[in-house]
Amino acid sequence: MPAILKKDNLQQLLASLSQAYKLVLPVRENGMTFFRPYQTGLTIDPDYINTATSPKEFLFPQTEKMLSFKYRESADISITNEEPHAEKLAVFGARSCDLAGIAALDPVFGGRFPDPQYSTRRDNVLLVGLGCRRASASCFCQAFNIDPLACAGADIAMIELEDCFAIEARTARGHAQLANFSQLLEEDHSGGVKTSLSSAREALNRSFGSLPDPAGVKDFLDRQFELPYWEQIASRCLGCGICTYICPTCHCFDIFDVTRGKPDGNRYRCWDSCMFADFTGMAGGHNPRPTQKERVRNRFMHKLKYHLDRYEIGGCVGCGRCVEKCPVNLDIRQIINDINKLQGVEVNGQ
Amino acid sequence: MSEKKAHQEITAKLRAECKRLLETGTVHTVIGFAPGSMPGRTVPVFITNPQEVAQLTWNPFCAANLSKYLLDHHQPGGKAAIVVKGCDSRGIVRLLQDNQVLRDEVHILGIPCRGQYDHRKIPGGLEVEETEPLEQGTADVAHPELHLEKCAYCENPTPVIYDLLLDDAVAPSTDSKGRFTEITDLEAKTAQEKSTYWDDHFSRCLRCYACRNACPACTCRECVFDQFDPDWVSKRNNLTENTAFHLIRAFHVAGRCVDCGECDRVCPVQIPLRLLNRKIIKDLDELFEAPTPGTDLNVKPALGDFTPQDPDEFH
Amino acid sequence: MIMKRLLEFAGLEPERFQARWISGSEGAKFAATVQEITEQIKKLGPNTKMRDTDE
Repeated sequence: MPAILKKDNLQQLLASLSQAYKLVLPVRENGMTFFRPYQTGLTIDPDYINTATSPKEFLFPQTEKMLSFKYRESADISITNEEPHAEKLAVFGARSCDLAGIAALDPVFGGRFPDPQYSTRRDNVLLVGLGCRRASASCFCQAFNIDPLACAGADIAMIELEDCFAIEARTARGHAQLANFSQLLEEDHSGGVKTSLSSAREALNRSFGSLPDPAGVKDFLDRQFELPYWEQIASRCLGCGICTYICPTCHCFDIFDVTRGKPDGNRYRCWDSCMFADFTGMAGGHNPRPTQKERVRNRFMHKLKYHLDRYEIGGCVGCGRCVEKCPVNLDIRQIINDINKLQGVEVNGQ
Repeated sequence: MSEKKAHQEITAKLRAECKRLLETGTVHTVIGFAPGSMPGRTVPVFITNPQEVAQLTWNPFCAANLSKYLLDHHQPGGKAAIVVKGCDSRGIVRLLQDNQVLRDEVHILGIPCRGQYDHRKIPGGLEVEETEPLEQGTADVAHPELHLEKCAYCENPTPVIYDLLLDDAVAPSTDSKGRFTEITDLEAKTAQEKSTYWDDHFSRCLRCYACRNACPACTCRECVFDQFDPDWVSKRNNLTENTAFHLIRAFHVAGRCVDCGECDRVCPVQIPLRLLNRKIIKDLDELFEAPTPGTDLNVKPALGDFTPQDPDEFH
Repeated sequence: MIMKRLLEFAGLEPERFQARWISGSEGAKFAATVQEITEQIKKLGPNTKMRDTDE
């Protein structure tokens, strides 16, 4: 049963959160919304549908130092591993799609050989989800059965209603934190939240456009690797990294050393993008994905098939960022629709 | 003529002309715009079958500069037709001057342009009811406040180079006073203010390289930013590296940037990249009396040419 | 000139970038120029922008 947080009390909740955690929240900046560190008086962008970049950067930063090394001729190479980043971080206002994105990243960096950097950050993060009020023209989380109000995976889930927030702890960490705010919360004696919730849900559902149907896509892609269709898509693609860098589930990285010509240096890992020509470039010059066709195919196969193959969890969460930002309007919803059409041709052709 | 009539007429004319070009074998491909997946968007299309010309469209949401696609679609001994606005046509001149494409490999379909809408400025996001009248031209009045920044001052609404013009020429902006206002405003600030201004923007950069990939002046097969060795700029995303990237990018296209504004348009975090390029265009104008690059096929890029009258600081 | 103006526009001190035309036979001019530029740079003090970081 969710409790009630009066809107006037939001500021105080943020202030208290910021004492226990480093707090980031969605803030308006240059006409867009980004997660930015909390400062006194700073409040959330009241109009944001979603942030321009995804919250994955807080668990998997774009640039991360892994180790530093020293080389002396008289001695062995000495290597100092970078301590995993154990700062307590609260991400306030994460949407359901982005929480699903984190759930899709967890098995990649977890599993049998957990990544110490990611795992440490993950263990120290408090995810405060905020249900959506409306969908943008590019939103399609519902196509993947993600409920934009549910905030699945959040430690604390909130939904903005007319005059208050419904707030609920979902995990032990969430309960512990929410207990600190008990003086800010009220119980829903009148049961009004339930009514408001259902009207909020109705309004939200109405704001979604037509959704693509990904049900048969993986099955089709399992059989069809060589599709001329990918050439058509690739001919439009500029080969930039926008879609992969703003995607809440893309997680490819590159590891390299910076030495500045000295025998000492640092090793970093940085985001990389399968859209880039050198992404699969090998020593010796061979590139198994020599043209944009193979690269584009890889991205969409990863979202709609490979991630499901490997982790039984979807690689696309329908956040719509790539749809919104692609400079040449390559729309993954359109691609799902096109694949469904191709599938129809395949069936009828038999 | 109302805008609506103009859009529909131009679209009809464009389709008929492309059908003819493909049927007669004058061109092997048509590079143009088709309706996009959302209101207020268009997608680039490449048409080789004359039966498919109905995909082509023209409306004031054809913001992309298609000229760079010629790199992939030009073939020796054949022609590709391409739809261009005035600003895009300077991109074609860029490719021709840089010998990336030959003049007889391209058939230029020029469309005089009254300004392109920025879908990000449509009030309330992308609602069909709001964008449709703009797309169709049925909006009671044109909405210049919804145009892309670059359209506020347009030197070449009519393409500077074309094989066929699909509408009557549109006169350029005559008030040249406002040409570099945004540059002079920033120039007037203190070094500290300028530094902070760019730090705020560059720290947001994702290093997705969309600005580079969309740019008709960026045609190197292998880019310095893709190279590991030498380590000029690493993949690390921090203010230092991002600043280096942006200054190198801007300077690399100095004297060749045609001010089509694609870098600005494609940037996912809205860094005002065009300001850097326009600063250079302004200086080239002041120092070399150079017109905006790409305006004239016969005028060589100021930094790619030498005359004894060139100013210099060498002693 | 274009580069210096661009640096200034980006908030850097343009004097940090200088170009001179010195032929291989002008050793004295080279030495004098380097000395002159070194003094100017010392006056400017350490550059605060675009420092190498280990981030």
